[in-house]
Amino acid sequence: MVSMSTERKNASRPTSSPDINCDRLQNNGVAKWNDNNKEKFQPHEESPNQIVYRKMEHIVERMQDENNGVPVKTVKNFMTKVPSVFTGADLINWMVRNIDVLDQVEALHLAHLMAAHGYYFPIEEHILTVKNDNTLYRFQTPYFWPSNCWEPDNTDYAVYLCKRTMQNKTRLELADYEAENLARLQKMFARKWEFIFMQAEAQSRVDKKRDKLERKILDSQERAFWDVHRPVPGCVNTTEVDIRKACRMNRPMRNVSLRHHSIGIAGGRLSPPPLPEISASPAEQLQKEIEALRKRIARTTVKVSKVSEAQISFAEQYKEYDPFLVASDPPNPWISDSTDLWDLEKHAKELTNKRVRRWAFSLHELLNDPLGREHFVKYLEKEFSSENLRFWEAVQDLKQLHQRAVATRSREIWSEFLGTEATCPVNIDSKSLEATRLAMDNPDRWTFDRAAGHVYHLMRSDSYSRFLRSEMYKELLTGSRKKTSVKGILAIVPFSNK
Amino acid sequence: MPKDDPEITKLKNELQSLIQKFQDAQKTAADTTLETVCGSMSDVPKIRMTTKKVLKGHINKVTCCDFAGDSRHVVSGSLDGKLIIWDAWTGNKVQVIPLRSAWVMSSVFAKSGNFVACGGMDNMCTVYDLNNRDSSGSAKIVRELAGYEGFLSCSRFFDDKKIITGSGDTRLTVWDLESGKKLQEINCAHAGDVCSMSMSSDQNTLVTGSVDRTMKVWDMRDMTCQQTFFGHESDVNSVCMHPSGFAFCSASEDKTARLFDIRADQQIGLYRPPTSNSGFTSSGLSRSGRYLFAGSDDSTVHVWDIAKAQHVGNMQGHENRITSLSVSENGMAVATGSWDNYVKIWL
Repeated sequence: MVSMSTERKNASRPTSSPDINCDRLQNNGVAKWNDNNKEKFQPHEESPNQIVYRKMEHIVERMQDENNGVPVKTVKNFMTKVPSVFTGADLINWMVRNIDVLDQVEALHLAHLMAAHGYYFPIEEHILTVKNDNTLYRFQTPYFWPSNCWEPDNTDYAVYLCKRTMQNKTRLELADYEAENLARLQKMFARKWEFIFMQAEAQSRVDKKRDKLERKILDSQERAFWDVHRPVPGCVNTTEVDIRKACRMNRPMRNVSLRHHSIGIAGGRLSPPPLPEISASPAEQLQKEIEALRKRIARTTVKVSKVSEAQISFAEQYKEYDPFLVASDPPNPWISDSTDLWDLEKHAKELTNKRVRRWAFSLHELLNDPLGREHFVKYLEKEFSSENLRFWEAVQDLKQLHQRAVATRSREIWSEFLGTEATCPVNIDSKSLEATRLAMDNPDRWTFDRAAGHVYHLMRSDSYSRFLRSEMYKELLTGSRKKTSVKGILAIVPFSNK
Repeated sequence: MPKDDPEITKLKNELQSLIQKFQDAQKTAADTTLETVCGSMSDVPKIRMTTKKVLKGHINKVTCCDFAGDSRHVVSGSLDGKLIIWDAWTGNKVQVIPLRSAWVMSSVFAKSGNFVACGGMDNMCTVYDLNNRDSSGSAKIVRELAGYEGFLSCSRFFDDKKIITGSGDTRLTVWDLESGKKLQEINCAHAGDVCSMSMSSDQNTLVTGSVDRTMKVWDMRDMTCQQTFFGHESDVNSVCMHPSGFAFCSASEDKTARLFDIRADQQIGLYRPPTSNSGFTSSGLSRSGRYLFAGSDDSTVHVWDIAKAQHVGNMQGHENRITSLSVSENGMAVATGSWDNYVKIWL
């Protein structure tokens, strides 16, 4: 089933004018494919790709403007003429002058991105990139633009490669990867290869009838089209979809009540969307939803004003620990090119005021810092309440133990901290104690988690808050402050910064 | 549409009135907006982050990357079937781990730096020990966790012995790495693929995002869903816990990034880039929680100041869409992986 190009009848014979403009090319960009493919020409609705394509096409149209666009000419090369090309340097210069780019580097980047989508291409190469020099490029005919939602299948590709082999021109020889692809396709389509061969023959017959220069252009454009849709191995394929989403296209999502989705929007829609079809046991489903909603309403929530204030205080508190806001000291290794920061952290014995203050943020921060933990332990020992921390740490270590040792170690922990004859009893509520006792029948790494959580809470409200008010901590703060230089103090004392 | 009998009608009416009540309650709680309260805060400097290191080595799209707890090493997984452990400061490859399946979608570092876990279309989670090599010289496989009915989309280490994973079969599974057994499994955690998860620093709370447009907050101690958040209009591709543990940000296919507060149980921020063209694939927050980073399909990372809800810049340099983003533990650098085969370090 071969279709001749219907549009060719309308096309006027191209003159030898160097500037072959798009319209003529479009008419001569023959409808080589079957009539079925004509449906594909309608671009889809507002998919994000379409928006981007439109933007790129807008720029390309400006580039192709006869008077103000990129200068396209025919280059004479030894015995041959290279029609309708422009140099990379011209392209970049045009972009810098006409588009809002910062500099040549950004223009080159943008040019490269547009080339990767196939709007123009290097005439000598398969790899779609742009160089800012005298390398020659050609525009792609709008017929082949990605916005036409081509999804060419392997049959079309096979026809194309087959056609290439029929023409005895060196410039049309297949590249290695193309030869491999052709071999693979031959295997895949072994049964209908005759049909493919016939189509290829028909197409090359049509091609032969055309003017030599025109053929050069069209051949190169067709090759560029395939470079986009079947790229050289190692190149990025801009037509690809994220495989995770592609998987889902064939698998419809489970039918779920999406009604509540309108609720969560702050100040969102007042009227819920139309009720979806109710599947089996509709009453039950409704009941479930009602329950869930009741729970949500019953839950106490905090006002946005309060949480915003909490956010602010957190951000302010951690501001100087955020390297993006306040430069860290010693400096960020990537900026200073030295690993001082990490070396210092390893051998950290020195207490900076910044570090000591961080311990006051939360118990988590205190225990995270090995020096902070050391000081806290010393304090607890003075207060004779170190068993809480020791228990909590033993439970954390238990989680890292080898499976074999878990059972014995948990029994040890039990007898040391929780049992009736515990050597260092910790204070936990009776419920947790009971639950843990029951769990001790089958001890595993997480047996003590509940009890440990309780102890952590206790530490935080009791020992930790006293530690922060203690003389020891105050001394650490002032002592470390004295050590820092004057410059350091100026950085510490908060000035209102606007 | 079958005719409803009176019981169903009654239930439906009750549901409607509850919905109304809930919406009213939310509106009263939303007595102000985050930006208004933060009005008095000083502005943050505009982001001028540039690429400080380009990690070259993959020969196909990079689908995932993650910083280690030391804020220096990065693991990245790519469709070329390799996991590469980089020293992000020198740019050298510390280890290259060939994978059995090339379709890796998620790779994470344990905080200690001793293990990495990866998985993807092979429906398995494989854990490698970086300190032990096997006979062929690459990192030893410690565990191969199988039993998923969908692809592995995300995972997080609790510690060297416990890992939680989210997968395309809508499950969340917690594994004990030493025995290789499932500790807990939640079926139908979401109504669609679980795309992403993030843990709080005290490891008690987990937030997950899914293609069913919702995000759920889970209590790790008893593995129950505490809250569900709505608001996005399309797949939630990525979630990231706020360092305070009381909020989280999300990035979605609907071209917005949002900030949700757990205590207020609602959305408190909505962020769009100036030219809103492409969906977001990944997100991260800075150490103080002030900056929100979102990697997008348009090859740039957009940055917002969440307090003022302002777009403060974007990071350009990748040549194809950004698939993953990770902020280092100490907040010093951002790593991004992209379809252009590179991992870049920004600061």
